[in-house]
Amino acid sequence: MGVKAALARLAAGAPARCFAVVGAEADEIAPWLRLDPELVIVDSPRAADVLLVLGQLDDEMVRAAAGVHDALPPPRGVVSWSPGGERPVSWPFTDDVRVDDPAQIPAACRRLRDELLSGRRASSPDILPDIDPAPWRGVGPFGQGGAGMTGGVPYGRPLAARADDRDGLKLDQILVRVGPYLPPFPSGLVLDVKIQGDVIQEVSIPTPAAVAPDLISAGAHSAGAHSLTGERALFNAAVTQPVPVADIEVARARHHLVWLAEALRVSGLEAYGRRVLKLARTVRPEAAEPVDDLSRWLRRNVSLRWGTSGVGMVSASRAAALPGGPVARAAGDGRDARSLDPAYERLGFTPVVLEDGDALARWRVRVDEAQQALALAQRAGESLTTPIGLVEGPCGPIGGERSTSAALVTMLPELLVGMEWGDAVTTVVSLDIDMAEAALPHDAAVASRAS
Amino acid sequence: MNALRVVIAVVSVGAVSVAGIYLAAWVDLLVGRAVAGLEVRPLDALSAPLRWGAATALKTRTTTERPDAETWALAPALLAALAAVGLAAVPLAPGLLAADVANGIVLFGAAMALVVVAVFLQGWSPNSPLPMIGGYRFIAEGLSYEIPLAVVLIAAALPARSLAIAPIVTSQEHLWNIVRQPLGLPLYLMAGLGLAFWGPLALPEGQDLAGGSSLETSGVSRILWRTAQLLVLVAVAAMGAAVFLGGWLGPLFPGAAWMIVKTIILLVPLIATRHFVARVPTERYVVVSWAILIPLSLLDVFIAGIQALVAAR
Repeated sequence: MGVKAALARLAAGAPARCFAVVGAEADEIAPWLRLDPELVIVDSPRAADVLLVLGQLDDEMVRAAAGVHDALPPPRGVVSWSPGGERPVSWPFTDDVRVDDPAQIPAACRRLRDELLSGRRASSPDILPDIDPAPWRGVGPFGQGGAGMTGGVPYGRPLAARADDRDGLKLDQILVRVGPYLPPFPSGLVLDVKIQGDVIQEVSIPTPAAVAPDLISAGAHSAGAHSLTGERALFNAAVTQPVPVADIEVARARHHLVWLAEALRVSGLEAYGRRVLKLARTVRPEAAEPVDDLSRWLRRNVSLRWGTSGVGMVSASRAAALPGGPVARAAGDGRDARSLDPAYERLGFTPVVLEDGDALARWRVRVDEAQQALALAQRAGESLTTPIGLVEGPCGPIGGERSTSAALVTMLPELLVGMEWGDAVTTVVSLDIDMAEAALPHDAAVASRAS
Repeated sequence: MNALRVVIAVVSVGAVSVAGIYLAAWVDLLVGRAVAGLEVRPLDALSAPLRWGAATALKTRTTTERPDAETWALAPALLAALAAVGLAAVPLAPGLLAADVANGIVLFGAAMALVVVAVFLQGWSPNSPLPMIGGYRFIAEGLSYEIPLAVVLIAAALPARSLAIAPIVTSQEHLWNIVRQPLGLPLYLMAGLGLAFWGPLALPEGQDLAGGSSLETSGVSRILWRTAQLLVLVAVAAMGAAVFLGGWLGPLFPGAAWMIVKTIILLVPLIATRHFVARVPTERYVVVSWAILIPLSLLDVFIAGIQALVAAR
């Protein structure tokens, strides 16, 4: 007991380690938590003290979050924040610490961790029953749950199958479901992947987008009310009403920098990612030099070029099938809704277009666009956008028939097949898929914007 | 007298291990904060590894569905033991080494070659897909690190005409191997980074695998794994200091002090790579290793051989 108490006292000075599950309306809160000294966002629930449940989750995502919760090693606890304080009926975290103000999340995590480690608060018990996901014991000739040597489903999962590999050998192939909370992927993305070694052989999407449309459309009405930047609300508003060009462009630069911070983190440069995130928080048009420095650093960084060059090629024909956005512009397709706006024409706007179509080109397009956005914001003064029913959002046009993110999710299976796991992750990250946008059906999108 | 010497050597290796691990964790934190543009606060950061260790030690060691429990428990111990064996072969000062064997360089190379077993077990044992991919990756990469490491160490042993470390150190009395064999140290450090799966070569544990081979590890096992990993880096830096930077040789100060300073000189940049160089793609690194690094290491040993022949005349 004495040793435990001493360890708990010592541990009290460390930041709380949190695994974050991020639902609708929390995508503008979650990234900034990485800047808070009171907590550390970890990649694995096994390394976490606290499960941080942010935003609105539908039943499927709540079930997945319960599974993540049970993977946290005790003593563990849950801190939750939801816009408007609403929780779904199926909410399984009965002893969670509920936070109303997002600014209080870090302190709540730290306090909860200290209480858990010192024994002042009981660890949160398992939520899911410890049973096999499907009956299989005793089924089949070998009791393996199915027919044949490799036909069983022990523990409710298929055994490894045999399949040809790229060298013509027959090797084990396993089916893995990844998501909806795998850290390098956008929250909500679920993929069924068949892998052989670390080569992806088949990809399918069990649900096109795991974030429920009803939650999204409900959230879209109040988007911005609880967020730090209100980026989504700003771009949505610009579809139907004039908004300051400077505001839109600073929001674009900030979005691209937040994306870059995460992309750097996934590439292994976590500390530099944090530096970029700090820059994103304070970015201003009149102080654009740090972004120029960042652009120069990125161009010089051989290791980043090596990891992204030639990876995740989006051909010109694939780019043409997209509604637009930075992914298409990185593949030579110059469509940009800003070209249609007279306000941008007056500012001398021309879209940033690169030809290569790989992950490196997408990195460069976004960084160049961040620089360009700050320059436009500085030149724009008080000028307003012209509401033409279409706005160039940071991931693609908003207000069209279909979102770029939805098109990118649909494109994933054919894009990822044949890649090594690392390249597949680099590709997914470089596409900057917004799952909330991907899940937004056209009708709901129009309705939410009209409001 | 000999027994006392061995006891002193073992205690010294233990002390160097603990100090090296702590220093590595501290430097990593400081460099990370500096790169992130945060206030560095070296004194505050001194307690951070201890606090992390205390918080982690209080967590339960969780398990997964049908893991290979024995090998999972063994993996961190094996990694730590291999790193300790590697470090034991490095003399801190003349005669001050735990494993005074006639072929210390072979012992070190053998210990580092077996690191692949520990990392694979760590990835494979939890019966979980992403850790397993991590384990596979290390198997795929293993030879790309082991061959250059072994070859440049052999090259460093040639001028001494001995496989024991002490003669290799004394053979650098007039000229360190870093000057005599300029290809050796960079190739050795690259291989060492790979064997410690650190920084740009943290392939089995990359963020793309959400932690990879140690994704499922919690509690005391996590502490053991992390410290064992840092100990591999310390062993690599210490051996590099002995074999390429003249070991204990140096004016004014005692040999052990020189050895420690030179080890730190190599350890700090090794640790810092994590914050400056992005993780390299697995397959492309293997290609570069076999097409460029291994041929360069062979060139290194070829040049060392010619130098040894010329010196023998």
